[in-house]
Amino acid sequence: MPVMPDFELLRPDSAEAAVALHASRPASRYLAGGTDLLPNLRRGLADTATVIDLGGIAELAGIRVDADRVHIGAGTTLAALAAHPGIAAELPALAQAALAVAGPTHRESATLGGNLCLDTRCRYYNQSTPWREANHYCMKLEGDVCRVAPKSKRCYAAFSGDVAPALLALDAEVDIVGTNGRRTLALAEFYHDDGMRWLALDRGELLAAVRVPLAPGWSSGYEKLRIRGAIDFPLSGVAVALARDGERLAGLRIACTGVSSRPERIEGLDALVGQPLDDAALAQLEKLVLRGIQAMETTTASVPYRRKATPILARRLVTRLWTEAA
Amino acid sequence: MNAPERSLKRVARAASGPHGAGARRPFVDGVEKVTGTARYTADLPADQALVGKILRSPYAHAELLEVDISEALALPGVHAVITGDACDMPYGVIPIAQNEYPLARGRVRYCGDPIAAVAAVDEATADAALARIRLRVKELPAYFKAADSRQPDAILLHENKPGNIERQVHNEFGDVEAGFAEADLVREHTFECAEVHHAMMEPNAALATWDAERGHLTLHSVTQVPYYVHLTLARCLRMDPAHIRVIKPFVGGGFGHRTEALNFEVICALLARAACATVRLLQTREECFLAHRGRPEQQTRIRIGLKRDGRITACQAEVVQRGGAYGGYGLVTILYAGALLNGLYDIPAVKYDGYRVYTNTPACGAMRGHGTVNARYAFESLLDMMAGELGLDPIEVRRRNLLKAPTETINGLKIMSYGLPECLDWVEQASGWRERRGQLGKGRGLGVACSHFVSGSAKPVHWSGEPHAVILLKLDFDGGVTILTGASDIGQGSSTIITQVVAEILGVDYSRLRIIANDSAITPKDNGSYSSRVTFMVGNAAARAAENLRALLITAAAKRLQVREDEVEWLGESAVVASDPAREVAFTDVVEEALVATGTLTVKGTFTCPEEFQGGKHRGGAVGSTMGFSYAAQAVEVSVDPDLGTIKVEKVWAAIDCGFAINPMSVEGQVQGAVWMGMGQAISEETVYEDGRHQVANLLDYRVPTMAESPEIDVHIVESIDPNGPFGAKEASEGPLSGFMSALAAAVEEATGARLTRLPMTPDRVFEALHPKSRPAREGAAGGNR
Repeated sequence: MPVMPDFELLRPDSAEAAVALHASRPASRYLAGGTDLLPNLRRGLADTATVIDLGGIAELAGIRVDADRVHIGAGTTLAALAAHPGIAAELPALAQAALAVAGPTHRESATLGGNLCLDTRCRYYNQSTPWREANHYCMKLEGDVCRVAPKSKRCYAAFSGDVAPALLALDAEVDIVGTNGRRTLALAEFYHDDGMRWLALDRGELLAAVRVPLAPGWSSGYEKLRIRGAIDFPLSGVAVALARDGERLAGLRIACTGVSSRPERIEGLDALVGQPLDDAALAQLEKLVLRGIQAMETTTASVPYRRKATPILARRLVTRLWTEAA
Repeated sequence: MNAPERSLKRVARAASGPHGAGARRPFVDGVEKVTGTARYTADLPADQALVGKILRSPYAHAELLEVDISEALALPGVHAVITGDACDMPYGVIPIAQNEYPLARGRVRYCGDPIAAVAAVDEATADAALARIRLRVKELPAYFKAADSRQPDAILLHENKPGNIERQVHNEFGDVEAGFAEADLVREHTFECAEVHHAMMEPNAALATWDAERGHLTLHSVTQVPYYVHLTLARCLRMDPAHIRVIKPFVGGGFGHRTEALNFEVICALLARAACATVRLLQTREECFLAHRGRPEQQTRIRIGLKRDGRITACQAEVVQRGGAYGGYGLVTILYAGALLNGLYDIPAVKYDGYRVYTNTPACGAMRGHGTVNARYAFESLLDMMAGELGLDPIEVRRRNLLKAPTETINGLKIMSYGLPECLDWVEQASGWRERRGQLGKGRGLGVACSHFVSGSAKPVHWSGEPHAVILLKLDFDGGVTILTGASDIGQGSSTIITQVVAEILGVDYSRLRIIANDSAITPKDNGSYSSRVTFMVGNAAARAAENLRALLITAAAKRLQVREDEVEWLGESAVVASDPAREVAFTDVVEEALVATGTLTVKGTFTCPEEFQGGKHRGGAVGSTMGFSYAAQAVEVSVDPDLGTIKVEKVWAAIDCGFAINPMSVEGQVQGAVWMGMGQAISEETVYEDGRHQVANLLDYRVPTMAESPEIDVHIVESIDPNGPFGAKEASEGPLSGFMSALAAAVEEATGARLTRLPMTPDRVFEALHPKSRPAREGAAGGNR
């Protein structure tokens, strides 16, 4: 592996200080667990003079379960998230998604914030510098053509975080700190379907925390399509939150990952709410999922397979949660 | 217990259980590895070393018109920049197929072909220097599939190889047409295997020091074959081999990647000489994938004739291998694929046509199970499919076709021991085959297959008339025995096995034994760790050496005890008078006596494969020849998620006839490793090229199985006691690999009704096979539902 390029390392002790440092050094990057950023730095995918380590900021740590919501610091490791008994009990999709990321050693350092801000991925982008140079680069970095869709004006690199779809299904919101203060966004507003500008973060803004409402009567889960049971990014991932009222669906939210440049909330599911979850409803659900995803050749696994299997994954997860809620 | 009685002459010792051969012992170098003190090539201290880096071709196929290094040379901190001009001697492991230059001369033939190299004070300077090298090229048509290279209008990658065929093999043993005519069922099918790579844990690295005053070179490298590296350095640097020293430190795996000298080793040496300095050349994982030498993409068209009772009457195979840009071991690979259609079962007639094709992709080479794996997958798969048609049990079909040792195959391979029947018996019983097969319920299945491999190629690549193996033992005033060997322990445990052999025969405590391996200035030459030769050949040499030393010690003991030699009973740590055990002399006193008037003792043991074992007289007949074949059978249980096409290997039962297990724990580890590596090829591993560019040259996208996919693997050892192996031992680490794929394919067929005829069986391909009406998946989707 190429050596790490030289950079200045700073370690502020508050979110405000971090944001101020970033403002004073435009070519800087925030570092949390480093499992995404550090390999990208080595590979020449990220270029920075300054790395601002967020590990010393107390505010970013910790999980707090309140009566109606869970507050999770963005610096919480995925291992801690997966192991938290309150989250496993109340928000199983989140625990399952955290546990589905990479391998155990990654999860010990990778953070919630890092996974939500994960760089988009593509078979033409996640390559060494000589490789990309030989391929005349691509739109996402140093080039002007999207190698996945050469005629397109945008980059199709895929968002591949596991945790974001779970939090979308759970209707989470995020706290953001910037030089102009703090703001809160629904997680769905946090992402754009653009492989190059997939985060609604302004320059220097920092993701500080995630808040997830606790909704009694709802259950949730996350399933991931992958070739290996560990390490792999999702070929696609499906998160479901579901409420059942007797024989009727009282609520349903589905979000997918790995199938476009942002985690996708599946639209149109409200039509199923209030109905029984019969075969027709499941068929409709599969159609809606298929309509909501746009898998491209960002990985070497077959696109038709990813398109066909994702609705099946969703259908099975919904069916399981429905049955368990009986 | 299936094994025949062991006829080991053991040293008489009070301790219970085996002491040397047959003992379940941890590796002699395990402590260093576990505590992290083991130094691998990249860890070697060399404060003053320059950083070496390689500029690689961004073109799949091009004429190199100009390589301008002037700007790179002018950069401060750059000590050397070299190009193809630095070496005009082509190299290659097979003396008749040397067509690779360490740095390209005139033409690049794959994306990644080395063009130039720099040595600089640090990594950043080396990178900057590479960026200043200017290329002027004329791009040429490039071929990434064997079929494209073989088109009549394709330009030649190597001028002396018409049709871009590196080697074609055509032979027929027995009367194949008559065999098919006699058969009740003849079937033909084509099986496709993706290219795979070794993915050894330690990336490539070399450290070269040029002694400018003497004009001498020292190279440390990760090699499996220091001797071939030594020869290659002498050739490419036009040096007297006496002026070269090659040292192999700890090595983290090889699996065949390192069974030939690789370009980075020669480049590192060339850089050291050009810079008159020490150069460290570390390779990225991507560069390891580009050096490649893996198992080729292969298409196998196979035809088998069966009698109604399952007897095989004939076999015909056509194999096409996409060999990549250079020769390497290629001609051996294509010969192996045909030769080892024989030697597993009794087949009266075999016809083989093999084509090794040059393409603009990284060169393939030897990989665990060299040449035999993909052909075995095809053969065993078709045998199962035909057994199904005839309503025969897959294990019974295999039983109908067993050999009986000793025998000689129709292509001149000698089989001296044959524990396959016992392997099958155990697998049948342990897997619950009779009760459970067909009864596992929907989505679950059980499959079986057999396989075999050589215990060392009976004819070495460089036939020099020397013994196949040499071991030296040094015994000195301190009473310590130093074993000197050139055999490369690359993690497989060869140093441990050699030590156990010596411990068995000398009977001394292990604390007296130390082993020093792989320094050409100190240790005897060894051909290297490939073709599973070390336990058999070097083990035999070690046994001879220890016997020779013991004879000297018995002479000395007799002198001290004042009896005749035949009256001495050797106990290892002491010797006694056989008729009067109270008269005892300690080992250290024996040593003192043995050194009188002669001093330090050095004794030698050698081993040579007799000529009659070196294969048939036909062209290429040496490939596949060996003194002992290992045999293996395995059963694989699988569950399949038919909705998503995902496969889970639930359990594997593997039996190995390794002749005799010198270290049963090590044998079990090797068998598990082989099965697991076969599983990787079967379920997830494959290289992918797009326009010749390696798409998955990293361990995230090249999917070696993780612990999550790793099933329990039960191992059973069958000891057939080979007449020629050390204590009866044969190889244990390659044979058990190649049965996995077809056993899995059979299990998947039982689980789903679909027979997969392409590897790997990734979820998209399985999905495609289970939902054949769907639109085609990527190229490589499996065959249809049945």
